[in-house]
Amino acid sequence: MPFKQFFSWLKNLFGSRQSFSLGLYGNVNAGKSTLANRISKDWSGEEMSSVSEMPHETREVIKKERLAVKVDGKILTMNLLDMPGIATKVDYRDFIKRGMKLPEAQNRAKEATKGIIEAIKWLEHVDAAMLVMDSCEDPYTQVNITILGNLEARKIPVIIVANKIDKKNAKPERIKAAFPQHHLVEISALKGENMDKLYRAIAQYAKG
Amino acid sequence: MGIEIQFIASDKLRDKTPPQKVQFILDHIKKSKNRILVIEGSLSSSDEKELISKTMAAIDKSFPGIEVASVGEQSSTLKTQLIKLLGGKPSGLTVVGPSSLVKQIKKDPDKLSLLTGK
Repeated sequence: MPFKQFFSWLKNLFGSRQSFSLGLYGNVNAGKSTLANRISKDWSGEEMSSVSEMPHETREVIKKERLAVKVDGKILTMNLLDMPGIATKVDYRDFIKRGMKLPEAQNRAKEATKGIIEAIKWLEHVDAAMLVMDSCEDPYTQVNITILGNLEARKIPVIIVANKIDKKNAKPERIKAAFPQHHLVEISALKGENMDKLYRAIAQYAKG
Repeated sequence: MGIEIQFIASDKLRDKTPPQKVQFILDHIKKSKNRILVIEGSLSSSDEKELISKTMAAIDKSFPGIEVASVGEQSSTLKTQLIKLLGGKPSGLTVVGPSSLVKQIKKDPDKLSLLTGK
């Protein structure tokens, strides 16, 4: 085990930090808010984010503070941050195609761009991150690569979450093949599948 | 109207600071709706982050954003910094285009495919 990992493991063991911030990052509609809600509901009994099929439903960073997560008899206290989905384009016409009126669509697009800037700024402030990917989509996107590159550059622990494995066309193995150097957990945030594995991964990898 | 593909040598961006580099790219993309930039050398993850932020701030009714992808070694690695110091050329390339023109860039570790359309 490399020295840094060993040191990190020791810190985990003795609980050096009272609480830590865990950011949920990813492309638009990867299921970040569904996952945030699942985690929040599991440990506080209430949801934290609004969920919709409409892209850019989350347009500002939503925080759930001091969430106590129990893993193998130990309590992790974390501040969970549901980030707006990161994209390189936001076209108000896409919202009109989905039934929105022009002013509402333009306003949503404007809010979405601000949300993306805010999410990017937070990349420098989170203690750990989960990069959420839709298992049905191509994982090798520039957004995923950019997020991972920035987290790696800052040595921020990251867990890749292959979400939506309940869907018929899910191929989480593509994600594993694209990013073999990172720890990956396959889940369905919607159905609550493999959440125990995810909590263990958070305890093991994210709590630095 | 046809598509203009502009190839930019790494020397053009060599002495620019990261914000200048990003601004240069955005300015060139915004100047023409039919222009795709192919830049010698790949952007660092920090440059890409800056490019996304600046793009978001620049989005308006006529500019919905960009599609971008880099292949090859990222320019901030120690190896590429050394190459730069010794006067060598960075490896890799970056493709950027307005999202109104470039619908998708499919990326493999060593290959980029562009899908364009209006």
